[in-house]
Amino acid sequence: MSEALSPQSSVLGPLAGLRVVELCDELGQYAGKLLADLGADVIKVEPPEGSNARRVGPFARDIPGPDRSLNFWYHNTNKRSVVLDYEPDDSRHRVGAADPYSHDLEVVRQLILRADVLLDDRAPGRMDRLGLSHSVLSPQSSVLIHCSITPFGQTGPWKDYHSSDLVALALGGPMAMNGYDAEDAPGAPPIRGHGDQGYNTACHHAVMGILAALLHRDTAGEGQFIDCSMHECLSQTVEVGMPYWLYKRQDVVRQTGRHASAQRTEPWLFKAGDGRDLILFGIGRDNTSWRRLKEWMQASGFGMQLDEERFDSPQARQPGRGSPEAAEINAEVRRFIAAHDADYVYRGGQERDQSWGVVRSPDETLADPHLHDRGFFVETTGEGTVGPVMMPGAPYMFSATPWELRRPAPKLGEHTAEVLAELAAVKVT
Amino acid sequence: MAALPLAGVRVCDLTWIIAGPTATRVLADFGAEVIRVEHGQAVDAIRLGRPIVGDTPTLNNSGFFNYFNRNKKSILLNARHPMGMDLLKRLIAESDVVVENFSSGIMESWGLDYPQLKEIREDIIYCSISGFGHSGRDKAFTTWGPTAQALSGLTYMSGLPGKPPAGWGYSYMDHTAGYYGAIAIMAALHHRKLTGEGQHIDISQVEAGIILGGPAVLDATVNGRSWRQEGHPPGNRAWEPRVAPHNTYACAGDDRWIAIAVMNDAEWLALTRAMDDPDWAHEKRFDTNEGRLAQQDELDARIEAWTSELDDYEAMEILQAAGVRAGAVQKASDRFERDPQLASRDWWHTLSHAEMGDTEYDGVTPKLSATPGTLRTSGPILGQDTRGVLADVLGMSEAEIDEHEVAGVLM
Repeated sequence: MSEALSPQSSVLGPLAGLRVVELCDELGQYAGKLLADLGADVIKVEPPEGSNARRVGPFARDIPGPDRSLNFWYHNTNKRSVVLDYEPDDSRHRVGAADPYSHDLEVVRQLILRADVLLDDRAPGRMDRLGLSHSVLSPQSSVLIHCSITPFGQTGPWKDYHSSDLVALALGGPMAMNGYDAEDAPGAPPIRGHGDQGYNTACHHAVMGILAALLHRDTAGEGQFIDCSMHECLSQTVEVGMPYWLYKRQDVVRQTGRHASAQRTEPWLFKAGDGRDLILFGIGRDNTSWRRLKEWMQASGFGMQLDEERFDSPQARQPGRGSPEAAEINAEVRRFIAAHDADYVYRGGQERDQSWGVVRSPDETLADPHLHDRGFFVETTGEGTVGPVMMPGAPYMFSATPWELRRPAPKLGEHTAEVLAELAAVKVT
Repeated sequence: MAALPLAGVRVCDLTWIIAGPTATRVLADFGAEVIRVEHGQAVDAIRLGRPIVGDTPTLNNSGFFNYFNRNKKSILLNARHPMGMDLLKRLIAESDVVVENFSSGIMESWGLDYPQLKEIREDIIYCSISGFGHSGRDKAFTTWGPTAQALSGLTYMSGLPGKPPAGWGYSYMDHTAGYYGAIAIMAALHHRKLTGEGQHIDISQVEAGIILGGPAVLDATVNGRSWRQEGHPPGNRAWEPRVAPHNTYACAGDDRWIAIAVMNDAEWLALTRAMDDPDWAHEKRFDTNEGRLAQQDELDARIEAWTSELDDYEAMEILQAAGVRAGAVQKASDRFERDPQLASRDWWHTLSHAEMGDTEYDGVTPKLSATPGTLRTSGPILGQDTRGVLADVLGMSEAEIDEHEVAGVLM
């Protein structure tokens, strides 16, 4: 690690001791969170009005404010916030010696030169204009890993195109695979799954790139530049969609609530008695699971006809084959499920080796005792709440270097004085 | 050739289907030696997965398999045979990382849970990816990607109001659980380099999915508001930030669409200019975001009347030139045939495959300037590296390998 500004001996995560400077808004902030949650000291440098992400709702009790964005709370855990007025509003301002921004910009530069990783999500060319490009920084800090996350990458005819999560998911491929059968929603467009999954996918890749570069640096001692294009990240995160084109020159077609496919497939959605949806597939795939499923249904008076010999062969039961038996099974399972609550079907199915799931809303996961057994939800705090509130915790459990929530998302500028004092204590050259 | 960032890292890859192989694909792309341990009697079902080249699956002609398993080696090993289990343990002893995505409990039943792996190699990094994780009351439950997406909230968050859930149209959580696996393994490798300490990483695909909807969960715990409410999910309209217009609009042609996202008043003015300043767009009620939100139905119909006359790429160019966030909904064919951005960044690659001939791939992202990931070999023929790995990694002699072959271990 480079010269540390503050000791972090109490940090348990695998990236303890790693210092990151983050210059990110909505696009890149999740990458900073992933690093911070793994133990890195992530210093988020924000302009006086705060990161744009602080203006994204929902807000605590629906009252906007720089420290009340739940979106910001979630994506900025474990970071420290430093306010520096380093970035002119737009490129009309020239950065130079006489510029009023230059003092704060120099502080940013000093923070970066003391860091292991620089993470930014600025438009291509922006870091150059600030004098913070990798070619300028690397002669002064050869170990610096600089990752820039952009919608399309640093080069190419679309590099300056304007994007958003929706636009990225359109151009990148996910949306074309996600939508409806004509009979469910005639003329429906391709659908974007919510949750800023374009930004998330870019950030997953940024962190993979940063860690690969860190492993190289651990061995060879050199840093490097990482060009992370959200468009590329999404383009390779569409599973069967890409191989179907590469091997068959076929586009898969979107279908309601199930995989897009080259040929139409049977529905996976089943409506339970309480109105909730379940996702089911693989019914009757093998004799053992079929027998258990059948016995379960028959115990409440459904599927009595399924004892007939014609249902005994897994081939006949497979929905993809279009056999009358498969259609009959499907109809009977549908009737059985409609007569029971979704959770009963989910748990009963899983207990009988069926990988079925309830379509839950995100907040409904809070009621799942299994997740609490694992301590999955963690508590955070923020302006506008009385006492701690729960939110999702770690995507991975490490036995030796545990993920931990050391501090909630920072208030705007909460750590400016602290970080500047640490910087002053290190001899700046 | 530039160094690869994970050169020298050996991975004993026990994964199958997609989530695990995605994790090891990342490691392999960045230069790790990934050795798939396969068993002919319980072959990875994706080796039979469509699309295939030709009419009949051969275990080596699946494009689906090949796409996720480039740059990897394959050995055949019958771990149900005592001599096979012995070889597997010897391979683990020579590996830095063991990855698997079996149901919880399978490794334990093989006598290969973390404490036992640690006995074989003290500093091993063991990553398990399962539906529900290796602890908790439902750890024996199982998932496929779509199940995990349903249980985590992701499926629910994708769809039009009043309609069944639409998504997802593929196993997003197979990719993403794999990405979390790769992230965790690389972080653990870094920690091991500094301290010498290995560890177990336990990933639950359902939890990894819930992670991706954090703000929606906080909206419930802070504001008491569930996503299961009137008007949700909001289709392609914005949830947060609350902005309009924000939607997909039909373009000329069959199933052609453009996504447009207007985030503020300046972008709204840019959109009106791009549409040649129609009178309706200058009505006062559309001047503010609140006004536009209140009249989204009309607004969206007006915009679609404009886009429906245009080719989707033409509309995108007009809008982008005006400073509007806009993009055509691209299918795989569009990205491969028409997308100038991917083409300009050398995104598509061809590698030779012993059975399928030339096979095509997408590239490695993100792009590292000094040690970029590379495409070196196509997905492996089942067992193509058995003898090589046993000789080079385990130091076995020709005779010793033959003896295992005769005993039915290498199948």
